[in-house]
Amino acid sequence: MSQAVAARPMRDLVTWPQEGYTRVPLQVFADHEIYSWEQDLIFRGPTWSFLGLEVEIPEPGDYITTFIGDSPIIVVRTADGGINALVNRCVHKGSIICYEPKGSRKRAHNFVCPYHNWIYDFEGGLKTIAFEKGIQDKGGMPEDFDKSKHRLIRLRVDTIRGLIFGTFPEATPPLRDYLGPVMVEHIERTLHGKPKILGRYSQFMHNNWKLYVENSRDNYHPSLLHAFFSTFKLNRLSAEGGTRQDDRNWHHITFTKRYTDAGDQAYDSGMIRAMKTNYGLKDPSLIDQWMEYPDQITNSIQSIFPGFVLQQILNSIGTRQIITRGTDKCELVWTLIGFEDDTEEQTYVRVKQSNLVGPAGLVSMEDGAIGNFVQQGIKGDLDNVAVIEMGGRGVGGMPTRATETSVRGFWKLYRELMGV
Amino acid sequence: MNAKTPAGPATDVPVAVRDAIARLMTEYANAIDNDELERWPHFFTEQCLYQILPRPDYRQGRPIGIWFCDNRDMLEDRVSSIREVNVYEPHVYRHVISPAEITGMNNGAWTAQTSYIVVRTMHDGAMQVFSAGRYVDEIEVDGAIARFRKRIVVPDSPRFDTLVVIPL
Repeated sequence: MSQAVAARPMRDLVTWPQEGYTRVPLQVFADHEIYSWEQDLIFRGPTWSFLGLEVEIPEPGDYITTFIGDSPIIVVRTADGGINALVNRCVHKGSIICYEPKGSRKRAHNFVCPYHNWIYDFEGGLKTIAFEKGIQDKGGMPEDFDKSKHRLIRLRVDTIRGLIFGTFPEATPPLRDYLGPVMVEHIERTLHGKPKILGRYSQFMHNNWKLYVENSRDNYHPSLLHAFFSTFKLNRLSAEGGTRQDDRNWHHITFTKRYTDAGDQAYDSGMIRAMKTNYGLKDPSLIDQWMEYPDQITNSIQSIFPGFVLQQILNSIGTRQIITRGTDKCELVWTLIGFEDDTEEQTYVRVKQSNLVGPAGLVSMEDGAIGNFVQQGIKGDLDNVAVIEMGGRGVGGMPTRATETSVRGFWKLYRELMGV
Repeated sequence: MNAKTPAGPATDVPVAVRDAIARLMTEYANAIDNDELERWPHFFTEQCLYQILPRPDYRQGRPIGIWFCDNRDMLEDRVSSIREVNVYEPHVYRHVISPAEITGMNNGAWTAQTSYIVVRTMHDGAMQVFSAGRYVDEIEVDGAIARFRKRIVVPDSPRFDTLVVIPL
């Protein structure tokens, strides 16, 4: 149950600077032992991780495979319509049991390890061992082998608006308590219908997973690193925006209201067409949108500790799931969604705006490279620290985007969980 | 937009059409690989579709990939963005493409599919197979000039390393 078996205690590995969460020791982005502890204390610790969308497993027996940190996970729809999550590791030799991204076991209602055909039910119980009694009374498992003592690790599962989350410990607070009311309300607001998957791809990044998490919470960088909006005069500097957090500062929302300076006429429910004459683009219809949300928020990025992001960029709605791939690599899985009751025109707008996001996204592609720039930069100076003081030295929501308050919020919970 | 490719090669394609299509394929790849991106939009008709739609989504008929331009102005905006805006480490592509399999005619355009491999070379010399897959095309041929009315790039992998700033 541990990846940190060979690691020294965390307190021997890092001493956090006395300045607290305004400083981050750079070694946490490069150290293998710290990485092992993160698997145990964060990903298998008292946190909820995103596993997928309910719509991916509509029927009993439907399953998907995914990861929490490094741990392979099976998520399956049970006979009674519930959802179970199991560690995808056979108790015999440790092989993964399900090796496809998705599938269905609707007839058999079990999982069969491909190596020696050990068979498990959807609760993780070991039901059958091939040749358990041997062949012609020779071989087989010992008489006293107790199958009930060997089972797949089962996670707790909860859902919110079609998103599936899982956690390892019994002690993790319930999902809604873990998220807090501000985060719950925003998830329920963003996912206002029955989701429909429009596309899925991933971005492989050459940086530690935490550098991407920081990036997703850093609302200081977008207008500086992602120059697309400003170069083509697409952003209005007077647009209202800010940062929200739950009351423990674990999670984060940054939001913008693009049309706050445009008067009330922009807020009707129809399409808002970008005028060609006002922009540097030959085809500004790229940023045509409809006002999808009554709160008039046109951009929001919600980052849930440790590695989940829910995005609304104009009408581009999607989830991003961070999968750890070693100290200096991670993978970001993007799922772009619409809703069942979207009109054809609305789907078209979402498809067109897909140009803004993902590894080729006009306002997001740089995020795939910038973490690697940091990873390259810190190599010779792992005894040094990052400085995180934009917007002050505290945590908490702020009526501005010129702040790193939510990056500090991340490190606050990180330190609590890691005990440093 | 995700119509399945008609199966089987067309046998009665005029030589002049084959030549025009072969030339288009070669010039397209060379323009990108030789950093003449400004030529790229002109390989398309004014009303066109250029999309990068990974194989699993293409197979399932999902509409969203990583790149979607449905007119030439959008292609030109991409080029401006690559040149003036986006931040990335300098790198180049090298396309290797198969001969095109011309599969038939659809609404005045030739349909074709072509395999490709793109090797990406970074400024420090690091090289990798960046993408492999196929082009699913609709090509309008007017005399010696062929242009894409539709080019769907279908990479075999839905995973992209770091970023995709230059078109495939």
